[in-house]
Amino acid sequence: MRKNKLFFFVILFSFSTFIWAQESIPVSVKGNAILKKVDEVLAPGSMEYYRKLINEEPNGDKKEFIFYSVKKDRDKVAMLYLAPASDKGRATLRIGDNMWLYIPNVGKPIRITSMQSIVGGVFNNADIMRLDYSAEYDAVKLDESGKEYVLDLKAKTRTVSYDSLKMWVIKKNNIVEKVECYAASGKLIKTLDFKQVKDFGGGVVRPAVIETTSPLYRGYRSIMIYSNIKRKKFPDEVFTLDYLSRLAELR
Amino acid sequence: MMVSKRLLLYSLILSTLILWKTAVAQEYDFEIPVEEETARLEFSGNLDAVWGILRTNPASPFYGLQFFDQDKPDEYLSQYRLDFYFNSDYRYKQVGFTMRTFSQYTKEEPIDLSFFELYGSLNLSPRFTFSVGKRRYNWGKGYAFTPVVGYVNTEKDPENPDLALAGKSSIYLKYNRSIRSNLIQNLSFTTIVLPPEAEILDKYSNFNDLSTAFKLYALMNNIDLDFMFYAGQNQTRRYGMDISTNLRENLEVHGEISYAKNDYIHLIQDSTIDMIKRDGFSYLLGLRYLNSLNITFIAEYYHNNSGLTHSEYKNYLDFLRDNLSSMDPELISFSKSVMSTSFRNKNPMQDYFYLKASLPEPFDWLYSSFSIFTIYNINDNSFMLSPQIGYKPFTNSEILFWPSFFFGNDDSEYGSKQFQSKVEMWFRFYF
Repeated sequence: MRKNKLFFFVILFSFSTFIWAQESIPVSVKGNAILKKVDEVLAPGSMEYYRKLINEEPNGDKKEFIFYSVKKDRDKVAMLYLAPASDKGRATLRIGDNMWLYIPNVGKPIRITSMQSIVGGVFNNADIMRLDYSAEYDAVKLDESGKEYVLDLKAKTRTVSYDSLKMWVIKKNNIVEKVECYAASGKLIKTLDFKQVKDFGGGVVRPAVIETTSPLYRGYRSIMIYSNIKRKKFPDEVFTLDYLSRLAELR
Repeated sequence: MMVSKRLLLYSLILSTLILWKTAVAQEYDFEIPVEEETARLEFSGNLDAVWGILRTNPASPFYGLQFFDQDKPDEYLSQYRLDFYFNSDYRYKQVGFTMRTFSQYTKEEPIDLSFFELYGSLNLSPRFTFSVGKRRYNWGKGYAFTPVVGYVNTEKDPENPDLALAGKSSIYLKYNRSIRSNLIQNLSFTTIVLPPEAEILDKYSNFNDLSTAFKLYALMNNIDLDFMFYAGQNQTRRYGMDISTNLRENLEVHGEISYAKNDYIHLIQDSTIDMIKRDGFSYLLGLRYLNSLNITFIAEYYHNNSGLTHSEYKNYLDFLRDNLSSMDPELISFSKSVMSTSFRNKNPMQDYFYLKASLPEPFDWLYSSFSIFTIYNINDNSFMLSPQIGYKPFTNSEILFWPSFFFGNDDSEYGSKQFQSKVEMWFRFYF
């Protein structure tokens, strides 16, 4: 009988410890782990990809851009404008919080700020040259509702474009569904809807379309369509100012 | 039995055909070249059709000299010109060829074609770049001005800093290296050898006029840093550095400083042209700021050590006025030559302030943009003010309405311009 009691207490203690341990994993640790998985799905390592950006205006007119982009690590993105002709040859580079624009006529890269928008519409420079979410944000709150995680993210530094994000993630595959971007005042700046999950090959399965709207740009909508995502390795020197004028060599 | 024989016959014929096809295919088949092995030739460019109305400034000696011996023009003049930029880029593996041309049409006469850039390059790896030919360089961080103009840059026009400019004949070698450290992320070293332009019989130049420029670039702790050096046996020796960084997500700051040893400056002293040597620093401080109304501000202060003081500039104007009042064609011709050689700087004086504010799609006017800039000459309190309204009705087209107004007294830089104001319409087409 005493043996049974002892056994019962050992089991109870172990179970309680397990439960306590589970609950004591800080929300931020679990949230950041989910965030990293989200990044791995969206941008799995070093890769190249093509994107079409469609800026829809309130009157229904559209402006379209086509970009060739390369990415390495969590914080290096370079992008070449392929169309329209008026912007062809322009190139942008982002390394962490640093961002540059190269215009062939000007002949030198100039520093730009993440909140500016080179292409107009709802997307700003930081949206178009987005880094991994986990490179810029920390999870501060995690909610679970049915099939989704809902993450509250806070910017790691003041140079990040948005002070905080709210992110909806599908539990079973860590695919992000929606992101809301907020200013430090708590004002909603824009909403990103991730759509049309597609198998790009090479193990890359992610949303192929991102639709963006903003209460600050009433009637505007920006759509980013991904194509030809391929895993590819690049030397670090590709992500330097000196290489911006040579980005076309990579295609 | 009959059916099986037929099947056998058909199978034999089919097999023979397949074998024959395969044999032919093996002999003539080829692999489609993959993308990176394909030579690529691309053309691009734009046509700017510019129509302007200019209000003359008869009090200006520049106006007097330009229109000397002409029938007295009206107070308002118009100008129509076509600026054509044609670019070609060829690339095959590591070999590249770049051509950028410019030609201007104002009336029916033979058109001059200028090669703004014409060079071949060997891009040996992402770390090494080598080119030979005429190539444009744009060192420095300034938007409207740059103190490092004496190194390898062609002087840009602060009224239109984004305009394509001619390069320089040069040999260019760059080594670029990324570094995985917390302090320095990227280092590059550039060497440019600049053969002098042909001056003797339009074919030769003095060997001693050869000059060399070096630049060391570092991305250090999220700060762009450049250290520059320029020297040649008969050239002004220059040392410079520039810096730029983003302080906030909407604020960028930049600066440049350059020291010139024995910089040659032309002055008018006792009504004659004199060339003096001046040592000293030129520098620039600037910022780019985006506010909550989506207005981008660019502000720059520029000190040009090789520029003229107010009294030196007044002497220059007096010199031109005296020669103009002499009505002597030889003196007039000499004055025009002096204007285009010894005093041709786009920023002839010492201290300037530049401010530009630009707003895309104001009042929800689709495809439009509005900007306004001023260049203020701190030495003589003259300035220019230039608003600009842009509109892009269709992809690859742009219309600009661009007036400019010049303010200042007769002895000031902007007050002495040959035009008091101008209004231009630009129609720009890209291809």
